[in-house]
This record gives sequence, structure tokens and C-alpha cells, in this order.
Amino acid sequence: MTATMTPFRRETEVGRDGFGQLLHAEWTKLRTVRGWVRGLGLGAVLMILIGLFGAAAVELPNEASAVPLGPDGEPVRDSFYWVHQSLTGDGSITVAVDSLTQQADTGPGRQDNVTVPWAKAGLMIKESVEPTSSYAAVLATASHGVRMQYDYTHDRAGLPGAVSAAAPRWLRLTRSGNTVTGYNSTDGSHWTKVETVRPATLPATVEVGLFVTSPDHIESAHQSTTSSATAHFGSVGLQDGWQGSGWVPDHVGGGPQSAGESTESAGGFTIRGSGDIAPIVGGIASPGNIVPLGNFLVGTFAGLIAVMVVATTYITAEYRRGLIRTTLTASPRRGRVLAAKAIVLGAVTFVVGLVTAAVVIMVCEPIAKSHGFTMFPVDLWTELRVVVSTGALLAVAAVFALAVGAVLRRSAGAVALVIAAMILPYILATSPVLPAGAGNWLLRVTPAAGFAVHQTVQKYPQVFTYYTPTSGYFPLSPLAGFAVLCGYAVLALGLAVVLLRRRDA
Amino acid sequence: MAALHAEWTKLRTLAGNAWLLLAVVALTVSVSAGVLTVTTCSTGDCGADAARVSLSGIYLGQVAVAILAVLAVGGEYGTGMIRTTLTAIPGRSTILAAKAAVLIAAVLVAGTVAVFGSLLAGWIILPGNGFTEDHGYQMLSLADGPLLRAGIGSVCYLILIALLSLGVATAVRDSAAAIGVVLGLLYLFPIITQMIRDPEWQRHLQQIAPMTAGLAVQATVGLADLPIAPWKGLGVLAAWAVGALLIGGWLLRSRDA
Amino acid sequence: MTIVAHDFPSLLDMEATIEVNGLRKRFGSTVALDGMSFTVRPGQITGFVGPNGAGKSTTMRVILGLDAVDEGAALIGGQPYRSLRRPLSHVGALLDAAALQPSRTARNHLLWLAHSQGMGAGRVEEVIARTGLQSVARRKAGGFSLGMRQRLGLAAALLGDPPVLILDEPFNGLDPEGIVWMRGLLAGLAREGRAVLVSSHFMSEMQDSAGHLVVVGRGRVVADTSVAEVIEAASQGRVTLRTTARSAAMTVLAQAGATVASSDAATLTVSGLSSERIVALLQQNAVPFSEVSVYRASLEEAYMELTRDSVEFSSEGFDAPRVPALNDAANGVANQAAAKGAVR
Repeated sequence: MTATMTPFRRETEVGRDGFGQLLHAEWTKLRTVRGWVRGLGLGAVLMILIGLFGAAAVELPNEASAVPLGPDGEPVRDSFYWVHQSLTGDGSITVAVDSLTQQADTGPGRQDNVTVPWAKAGLMIKESVEPTSSYAAVLATASHGVRMQYDYTHDRAGLPGAVSAAAPRWLRLTRSGNTVTGYNSTDGSHWTKVETVRPATLPATVEVGLFVTSPDHIESAHQSTTSSATAHFGSVGLQDGWQGSGWVPDHVGGGPQSAGESTESAGGFTIRGSGDIAPIVGGIASPGNIVPLGNFLVGTFAGLIAVMVVATTYITAEYRRGLIRTTLTASPRRGRVLAAKAIVLGAVTFVVGLVTAAVVIMVCEPIAKSHGFTMFPVDLWTELRVVVSTGALLAVAAVFALAVGAVLRRSAGAVALVIAAMILPYILATSPVLPAGAGNWLLRVTPAAGFAVHQTVQKYPQVFTYYTPTSGYFPLSPLAGFAVLCGYAVLALGLAVVLLRRRDA
Repeated sequence: MAALHAEWTKLRTLAGNAWLLLAVVALTVSVSAGVLTVTTCSTGDCGADAARVSLSGIYLGQVAVAILAVLAVGGEYGTGMIRTTLTAIPGRSTILAAKAAVLIAAVLVAGTVAVFGSLLAGWIILPGNGFTEDHGYQMLSLADGPLLRAGIGSVCYLILIALLSLGVATAVRDSAAAIGVVLGLLYLFPIITQMIRDPEWQRHLQQIAPMTAGLAVQATVGLADLPIAPWKGLGVLAAWAVGALLIGGWLLRSRDA
Repeated sequence: MTIVAHDFPSLLDMEATIEVNGLRKRFGSTVALDGMSFTVRPGQITGFVGPNGAGKSTTMRVILGLDAVDEGAALIGGQPYRSLRRPLSHVGALLDAAALQPSRTARNHLLWLAHSQGMGAGRVEEVIARTGLQSVARRKAGGFSLGMRQRLGLAAALLGDPPVLILDEPFNGLDPEGIVWMRGLLAGLAREGRAVLVSSHFMSEMQDSAGHLVVVGRGRVVADTSVAEVIEAASQGRVTLRTTARSAAMTVLAQAGATVASSDAATLTVSGLSSERIVALLQQNAVPFSEVSVYRASLEEAYMELTRDSVEFSSEGFDAPRVPALNDAANGVANQAAAKGAVR
């Protein structure tokens, strides 16, 4: 060895070490590739454009109307036909229902007997004759037996079975102060209590009566017709302090659907009514001009595709160019590299999704209103949740795509896999090809479960409709659906870390 | 002819392509079989279209076709091999045509197997699920005109998806972005259509959507209610494919490699 | 060799060495590394040469913790690479100049690397200046020529001001001016006391710049010695003679016990006799000659002889015979050189 040794002396300062530096490096990587920034921007623009298209493409002839809200703040329908009178103080009302039939327009000028499962006939104590006022009712239904319902959203089952002349149902409502108790009986002498409830508002003088109503006859997910129900009541008994002063026929809620009639006969009433006393749900049972919030965010699917392309390429591009070696030389702890990538990507896509969703809702809501649509009312928290969860949906989907990209190391296959895994199950679940049960199953076990975060409407078993994703209903709750998607992302990320550690770079 | 031979050799010698063609068959048949298994018909006139149900695997099978077609050019841009290709055969339209021809041949074979396999699965599974003469269904038979049309149309559909993907990939030059664009075109239309509240708009969207219109060729019942007639719908997809190829070809000619 | 567990030695006084110890690695049935061992010392350029497939790149990837080995270990200043904190401050590497995101600018490429080591944009500007990239730093790296990519790769390697540098084929794609520049830069880095490991196919470059040479073939070290010794071993005892009387000279020298080969019409290569003895013999026998010089092999020649039996893809066939009879002499040289390396 002939070279003279000069010991190496560093002249530059050594930088700081830590995970923060890794995050900083990955952020610099992400923001310095124009294609990726553009890709994320394109996703945001598509989300907004599709939202605008949905809000502005159709113009309804009518003015936007306020959705009627029930005592709980829920959007409700309140239209029926009844005979009623004002009664003060405590008391009881008793009646027997011995027939309930339903008719629908099944063709031009044709009426046929049909079964409308939630056609209702029974007794009601109501705050006033105004629609959406507080009430409690005990009633017989076409297919769901006797029910005790109050304030639109609450429902409790009583005696099962349909009513007929051979099997009448005796119903009784008793008011005592602020509570109303419903009873039912098969013979008028042996009574069972259904429930004691406390309606939101119960003034000293209430409206008490016999009502009939019948929601739309739903033939398929795409077809429904107006229906009416006719019920026969036996003689009405007022007891325990109430003194009758004569029954007045009337319909509540106006409109053609609440048209009806009543005829008094020997000690009884025959009443025909149409409409419903229930919360408003989406889908075919929903009035055509009511839009759930999630509708504007259908562009999220487009945003998702853009985000997933960028997220996959964020790692596969490094493999394609051999840049992954530079990355792993700079940061030899491989799990941390992937974690840093996931955090940076997740944070960026979260912000993009959140801001875009906020813009979409702020821009689209007024446009839809000016086009005659009525927003399905949701509280501020729900609105906030939808906006935040759109960001979270994009973020977790991006991390999922990143992880799949790290596992497969090929962009085309990885992108196709994540898009197909996220979006195809949704398409199949909403297409007529797949039976609804199988479709719901797909939306439970595939990453598409995550779309449940856009659910803003609630399911009510006491209202029949097709509870499908297109009308805003998912088989899983928003949180559970999101958890399924997170599960996929975590699994993929775990596999990616294991493989990244084990494989030669 | 030399270009055709060269492209055929490229397709043949890349192991991934054989797997993708196999995936076209496997994905199509397995998804079809899965959907068939869960589809039952317990009453007369249950509204299900036996051909559509049997061929539902195309929804997923087309993804593998898209990957195959996108990689035919995207893969070359990714590795820089496109320059070698363009040096060997300078006529750029010739290259695109040769690639298209080779893809058509490959997808024709894989697609035919996939469609035949799916129909076979339907033939085996459907009668057990209530698709019987009592409920107004006949055994699937290729002698049946509409079913034959659905089968041949589905193969054509896959071929057109390959051409659409080829055109998009040539225009975009990046495999990942091209897959995103293709699957976006296919999948976004039906989702947006569902959200539009106006039946007129829905019909228009269904008429121009490449997947919805293209798959109208699978319909064998309720033809009167289709937003677009079967062959006409396939024509819409063909228009998309030709448009993508023209744009791709124009960009290929006018751009530096 | 024992592995000393250092308690995070101060980066300022870090020992600038690479120790490669008994690396073995298989890819399926192919043996990529077959007991690769050598040490790279500070203060000089160590040339890392060998035919394609000899295991140079794999060894470099193993040193950098990118590839795992079945056996053996590689240490940087006594530590395995994966245990290093701020690794770019310990080792700078240029493996593949094409490993760039094409749409990212050169400056931004260096910037994310700097950020990963907790360094700022200031250091980026310094290495840009040192590698002469100022005018193109804000251009997309995808449009760079191979020469510019090499400069950018070198800039990345220098970012952490590391005591150890590992460069795979840094001369590839450089223009003559760039080669001179690179040679000067590497020499300067070595002078600063850094350990510089450079693989190259350009033997002339190695001959001029490398002080030490590690020659590998078939996954193992064939020779590990100084460049001067390799050349000496390859040229040992040979004398070049220019004469117009070839046959006379051959007869005279052969009678004296020398081995004589004719290179061309006027030149003979003589081994077995010193140049003084040759001059004396020719003068005694009145054989005319115009020049007698001690033969000095080029590194290229020496390398070809050293690696002749290690070439994986020779023109004669996929797997060339290991020791062709013709190459006995060359093998002798190789064995000598290897023996020397082992003694050191």
C-alpha cells in the first residue's frame, strides 16, 4: 500500500434523523411529479363536474318545496282520511276493525284489489288536524298485524294476522295525562296492552278519530301506483271521561293522495283513505323531487379512479425505473418507507376529498334547489360526516391501492385490480343482473362496502321500499362499511410490508 | 405482414399475455357461474334474462382484456421498447393496425372460450334454479337466434373493449392512466345514470355509455324496453373504439416516440 | 475477521471502509455470489472489475442492503448497511443512472433525497454546483442524456458528504470531457480520505485512476491487488524487440533458452531473458535491431488474461471451457496475482 492516508474529515453538517424526515421526503416526491398532482386535480374536477351535472341536468317544473318534518325532525309524510272530533282531558276510545282491503290503479281506468302491506286502519289521538303534528295510533295493517305507532318514526308490533269479518281486531287508545296507551283484543273483552308512549306534544284538547290510509302500491323497484284502502269499523265507544259530540269526516295532508270518503252505517263507519303516516324513505317510495345528499357525491367514483391510479403509480413507478433502490438506500428501514408513503398519500387524498366534497355540496345544493329539487333534510352533523368521510374514503382507497401496487409492483395489473375491487361490486350490486340479496352481500364483503359512508338516510321497517344503494341505502352502516374497506387496506398494507422486507429490491 | 408477424411474436413470447388470456376465460366463467348460482326463478315470468345472467362474467372478464390491450402499447412505452418497435417498423399506423389485428385474434379465441364456457355453465345451472319451462324458460340453446346473437355479440364486445383500450393506451402512453381511463369510461356511466332523476336523461346516457350500450347485445327478453337495440348498442361501443384508435393513431403519428 | 459492534461511532471520525466477507447468493440454480470477499480501504479508488454476470452489481446491492445473501456479510465502517441512520451520510451510491422519475426535475430528485436525510435545499445546490448541473437542474430528468444522468447520480451520491462511495459504471455514457471531469472528481474524493469503490468496463480508466483493483469472475474474487502489480504480473519478464532480421534473432534467442513469439513482421516478443542479456546476445551474433524495450502490458490485457476463464458469455459458446490449454500461461499469471492478493 503506497497511498498516503488522509483520514476523512466531514465538512458538511449531518442532517437530522427520524420519521419526520421520511415523511418530508415522500411529500417532496409526491408534489414534484406533475402527472400525480394533475391526476389528483383531475379527480377533484371530475367530482365537481359530475356533481354539477347531477344537480343541473334536470329541471323540474315545480318550485322546490320544504320537506315536512315530524316532531323528531325527520322528514315525514302525513296524509290520511279520518272521522274525528276534539276531546279534552283523559279518556279512552275503543273500536273494532273487521275488514281492510286495498285497491290500486293497475291500468288506465282500471282498479284492482291488491295487497299494500302497510295499508293502515285504526284509532288515532293527534295534537291537531295540522299535518306533521304529534300523534299516537293503534292500527291494523294489511300484512303486518296490529301496530302501535307514534310520531311517525316509532313502531311496535301488537297482535299478528290480518283482519276479516271472522277475525276482527279490537283496538283501544287511552289517554292519561301526557301518555297514550294502546291495547288490542281479538274479542273485545280480553285486552292486551301493546305499548304506553309519550308523544312529543299532547295538549289538553286533542283530536281523536278513526283513520284509514294506504301508501303507494310498489310493483317493482321502478314502478309504483297510487293506492287506497277501505276499512270497516264497528261501533265506536268513548269511555273514561270522554263525551262524544259527533264525528267530522276530513282528510289531513291535502293533495289527491289523501282523497277519501266515509259513510256511517248502522253503528259503524266505512272509511276509504290514501296516503301514509310515516317517515319519508328513499327509492321508489320517495316523492320524486327529494334528493338525498349522497346523490351529489356520485362523482366520488370518478375521483376514486383518479386517486387510485395516482396512488398505485406512486409506488409502481419506483419499481419500473429502479428508483425503489434509491429510496431504500436512502431509508433502509423498509416498513417505515411504506408507512411514510401511506401517511403522505392518505393525508393528501383526505384533504383533496374533503375539500372537494365540501365544494360539491356547497355548489350543488343551491343549484338543485333552483331546479325544483328538495334536499332530503339532514342535520349539520350528518352533512359534516358525509364531507369528512368522502375524504376518508379516498384516503383509505388510496392506501389500499398503494399497498396493492407495492405487492404487485406492476401498474396496469394493480390499477385494474383496485378499481375492479372497489367499483365493480357496486355496479353489479346495483345492476338488475344480480339478485338484490347477492348484491347486498357483495356490498358487505368487498372493498365497495366503503361507499356506505355516503348513507344519509335511515331504514324504517314500517315503510316498504327497495332499500338499494342507488336510493342511498347500504347493507352496512357507514361506520361498518368504512371498517370493511379499512380492513382491506390494512391487510394489503401488511402483506406489502412483509413482501417489501423479504424481497430483494 | 412483417409487422403483423412481429407483433404476434411479441404477444406470444410474453408470458404475462398467456396468463391474461387465461384470466379472461377464468374470470368470465367463474363470475358467470357465481351469479348463476345465486339467481333463482321461483315464479312464472320472474323477469330475469337467462342470457344476461349467464354472460354476466363479462363485467369482470373485460378487465383482463383491457389490461392485455393496454399493455400491448403501454408496456412498450414503460420500457422504452416503443423506440425499438418504431425503428424496426417506421410506419406508425401499420404498427397500430398490426397490434389491433393480433389483439383481435387473441381476444377472439379467449373470448369465444369464455362465452361458450359461461353459456355452458348457464345450461348446467339454470334448470336447477327454477329456469324451467313451467316458468317460461327454455333450455339455453345456440340454435335460439337471440341467444346466439348474445353469445356472438359478447365476443365482439370483448374485442371492441380490447380495441378501445388499445386506442386509449396509445393516446395516454401510460399503462396505469390508460387502465384508469378505460375502466372509468366503462364503469362511471352506469353509476351516474342511476343518480340522474330524469328518465329521458337516463335513456340518453344509457344509449351513449360504452358498457351499457355494448352489453345490450346480451339481451334476449324485454327487447322493446331496451334503451338501445342490441346490435346498435354494440355499434355505439364500436364507435367509441374507433374514436379511441383514431385519436391514438393520430397522436402516435404526430408525436415523438 | 471478527465483526466489531460499534456503539454508533461518531460520523465525523467514521472508518471509511467496506468489508465484504464471504458472500454467497443463489438465484434459483444460478450461483450469483460464491464466497465474495474483499475490503475497500480509504484514501484510494478501488476498481471493481469483471465480466458481465460476475456478480459486481449484486455485490454492490448486497453492500447497500438491497439484496439479501444466503451467507456472509457486508459492512460499512463496521456496521451492516441496514443499521445505519442517515445512511447517505455514510455511503453514497450510484447504481443505475436511469433510476429516475422522468417527469421530476433534477433538483427535485436531489431535494427529496436530501429531505430523507434531514438536509435542506442548501446542500442540494452545493452538489448541483459540484457536479456541474446548474444549467439543467430545473429540467425534467427524463430528457437527460446518459452523461447528465451520471452526473445527477453522482450528485445524489455526494449529497450526504459520505466517507464511502459506491459507483457502478460511472464512466458509461460520458463524453471525453466528462470522462476527464469524472476522473478528476473521483481522484479528488479519494484524496479527501474517502473509500471509493468503482466498477467499470473501461480498463484504461481504471489503469489511470484506480490505485487498487478487485477483479471478480463467477461470483468470487479472482485478484485483489494494486493496479501496478496486476500489470507487472501480466507483463512479467517480457521484452519487445524490433528487428529486420527476424529469423536470425529468433534462432539466437531460442538457443539461449528464451521463448520467442512474433507479433508482426518486424516485432518479436521475448520472454525468459532480461533485456540486457538480449542486447548482449544480439550484439555478439551481429543481429541488427532497432529497439529493445521492456514490455509493459496494458491493464486491459492483464484483465483479459485474468478473467479469460470467468467470462460467462464468451463468443465460443454459452459456457466456455474453464481452462483452455492455450491459456496456461495466463492462468499462471492469474494464480500469481490471486496468491499475492491472498497474502496481503
